[in-house]
Amino acid sequence: MSETTPESSPRQLATDARDRVRFEEEALQLSDQVYQVARRLTGSREEAEDLVQETFARAFRAWRSFEPGTNLRAWLFRILTNLNIDRGRKIQRSPDTQPLEETDYFLYNKLEESTGDGNADERRVVERLSQNDAVTALAELPHDFRDVVLLVDLADFTYSDAAQILGIPIGTVMSRLHRGRRILKRSLADTAVEDGG
Amino acid sequence: MNGYAFDPCDKCEQMMQPYLDRVLTEEERIEAEEHLDGCAYCRKRYRFEAEFRRFVRLAAAEPMPAELKEKLRSLRTPL
Repeated sequence: MSETTPESSPRQLATDARDRVRFEEEALQLSDQVYQVARRLTGSREEAEDLVQETFARAFRAWRSFEPGTNLRAWLFRILTNLNIDRGRKIQRSPDTQPLEETDYFLYNKLEESTGDGNADERRVVERLSQNDAVTALAELPHDFRDVVLLVDLADFTYSDAAQILGIPIGTVMSRLHRGRRILKRSLADTAVEDGG
Repeated sequence: MNGYAFDPCDKCEQMMQPYLDRVLTEEERIEAEEHLDGCAYCRKRYRFEAEFRRFVRLAAAEPMPAELKEKLRSLRTPL
């Protein structure tokens, strides 16, 4: 795409301005979704707000590098996740490599067991979990896993979009997602059982 | 590849997340659904997993502060 120079024709300048305004409006419509993920990537509302502002400031500056017709949402989230890494999220020990014994049904089985009612309605079983515990458990996920879980389970990206956003292979997305979800369930199972006495 | 005949629920468990993520092939999806139709044990867990996802999404969602939206609008390039 050509740069706008002082020599650009008035018509070109007008087209340019129109494209830019449209880009900015479309990006702003996605801001709620960007904030929701940013909030869970950060420890506080203030940090999330800073991160989102930085994301949009950078997106607006770099609007020419967005290729119209491609996925704007994924493009924005790529900026978000890169900035989040740049802002020096805590360096972690290499992510949790302990074997996870728990199967996928682990959380349900644990809750059902502590309910003592094999016929309990599934919604009732979920109600035994606390939303605060879920937020804490998400915050405590190793960051590489959390990024993937948030993109897929919260922001509804496909595996392949998540892979592109994070710049990792799709197989890595799948394994981190799988493991991240299990770690999340394990910590919720632990807190649910503690809370239940 | 067929541990399936011996432990259907084990197989179904492995399919549960991909099934919920809608990434199974058509053939696998039909197989998973046939199994769910016939297995109350897995059906219960399927409904739980679906509820659990809604729960996590709801727990994680925090609306964007209105002032932030205004701040973002002010970052637009002035016309």
